[in-house]
Amino acid sequence: MSIRSIVLGVIAVGAVGVAACAWYLRGPGPTDFAAGQKVPLAEYGSTDPTGVPASLAQASLIERGKYLAHAADCMVCHTAAGGAPYAGGLGFKLPFGTLYSTNITPDRDTGIGAYSDQDFLDAVQRGKRPDGSRLYPAMPYPSYSYMTDADALAIKAYLFSLEPVRSASLGNTLSFPFNQRWGMTFWSALFNADKRFEPNADQSPQWNRGAYLAEALAHCGDCHTERNLGFALNNRKKFGGAVTAGWRAYNISSDESSGLGDWTADEIATYLSTGHAAGRGTASGPMGEAVDHSFSKLESEDITSLVSYLQTVPAIRSADLPVQLAPVAPTSHKQGGGATDQIGKRVFEGACVSCHGWTGKSTVSAYATLTGARSVNDPSAINVAQIVVSGTERHIPEGVLSMPAFGKSLSNEEVAAVANYVTARFGSEGSTIRAADVAALREQTAD
Amino acid sequence: MAVTLTINGEQRLADVEDDVPLLWVLRDVLGMTGTKFGCGIAQCGACTVHVDGEAVRSCVLPVGSVVGSSITTIEGVGATPAGASVQRAWLDLEVVQCGYCQSGQIMSAAALLASTPDPDDSDIDAAMAGNICRCGTYVRIRAAIKQAAAGKQP
Repeated sequence: MSIRSIVLGVIAVGAVGVAACAWYLRGPGPTDFAAGQKVPLAEYGSTDPTGVPASLAQASLIERGKYLAHAADCMVCHTAAGGAPYAGGLGFKLPFGTLYSTNITPDRDTGIGAYSDQDFLDAVQRGKRPDGSRLYPAMPYPSYSYMTDADALAIKAYLFSLEPVRSASLGNTLSFPFNQRWGMTFWSALFNADKRFEPNADQSPQWNRGAYLAEALAHCGDCHTERNLGFALNNRKKFGGAVTAGWRAYNISSDESSGLGDWTADEIATYLSTGHAAGRGTASGPMGEAVDHSFSKLESEDITSLVSYLQTVPAIRSADLPVQLAPVAPTSHKQGGGATDQIGKRVFEGACVSCHGWTGKSTVSAYATLTGARSVNDPSAINVAQIVVSGTERHIPEGVLSMPAFGKSLSNEEVAAVANYVTARFGSEGSTIRAADVAALREQTAD
Repeated sequence: MAVTLTINGEQRLADVEDDVPLLWVLRDVLGMTGTKFGCGIAQCGACTVHVDGEAVRSCVLPVGSVVGSSITTIEGVGATPAGASVQRAWLDLEVVQCGYCQSGQIMSAAALLASTPDPDDSDIDAAMAGNICRCGTYVRIRAAIKQAAAGKQP
């Protein structure tokens, strides 16, 4: 055998290996779990699953774009705490640095005012800026690439109807090699299918509408699906839950014990549109924002479609979550709760009990009831610790509801102790987190 | 819109929205200023009232959620056996210093004694830890609760 053929052989084996790895990492697409034949949108005979609901069919382009921008939840990421809406500046803390969202108001110099329609489509569907540089996938363009051109351009029309805000983007602080934007060209080629949504001809029109809303607009998977080694969504574990920005986005697959399998359609619909369902806890953190700024603004028929789609997502079990949710805790402070660490109880009786009660059933608001919430029935206690640190503010039909942030008044030891006390008292499996875990959570929170 | 509330055994009418906190209705609409505003986020206890006998922070309690409930405030708690014995003990031991938090302290203590007639220290901690006193009257508060409990026993 000549040296040349050995070299060629090695190259061939290497190429096959790379292709196999790429194929494996890429995995299935977001709707590939469903049986049936996908067809191009133009060939789909039934009701158009894209665009706006029937009630807005006659609305202006800007009005339709506003609805779609809400459905795609653009604002939450493109707005800094206390900053002008859509003017950018929210920092995403990643293990290798901080990435700031950009100004998408129509300011010509600092926003997207100079974008042509094609520029906008390239950014939203392909992660490409007018100057050719690449976006990081914190911008969920692999999801938005399923959006139709018409819907993306309606969103553009809405954004361009806003007051331009002059606000230069903050410089990212990513370390090498993550600060090399050109690297994203390869990432995109591998992980962004750059293909518009294709309805499934064998599923109902309602399912297809739900799929479009969930995948192209709401991009549920970007928080609720864990990422693979290439930092792309691993749809083999679709909607099985993941930790994003220091909050745990729970399992929303149809698993009976750790997902939504035992939730009724009504419960899911109520949770999505109000951020709370009786006995199921309350959305806080990023999901609270998604409800306040996105789901609560959707027509009820769209919520129904989302629910019918969600309920078909195959069950993925979250092995660390207890199968049973804990019942109401005892009325007496002397019973229940992990008594090994007195600090947790001391913090709870001083700062928490006045709203949440010893039983977990709030006397103040059903939104503050802990009984039945997944967060307290989670031995990682990620969301309990995080909400103690960050607090929550929810905009519900009855007004603003909030829990104070205790991050500046409680030490990491105290946060860990109260989280362990709360999960032991109100959950079916108490946590054993430590101060260092709380410190790590504080590092991840977007601000 | 108008809501009808049962406060200290009387029917009171208030023209307010459902989401207004009970404390605002008490103080600003009904002129019952015995209940105090402290922090506004259920962290100090100054606004404590009883709803169906339970101590609740009225600053975060939407008035719409207590229609049909029996509300007791500091103005009426003396008419309950536990409230009367707490007030007597408070006077005997001269618990009050500046007084701002004391309406809330008395309401929390009365609710405690109504449900736990003979509280131990941990019961007092569990019921009273959320009522903050800037003057530091905690030692006298604890003593007064114990005296009220003893006084109630035959």
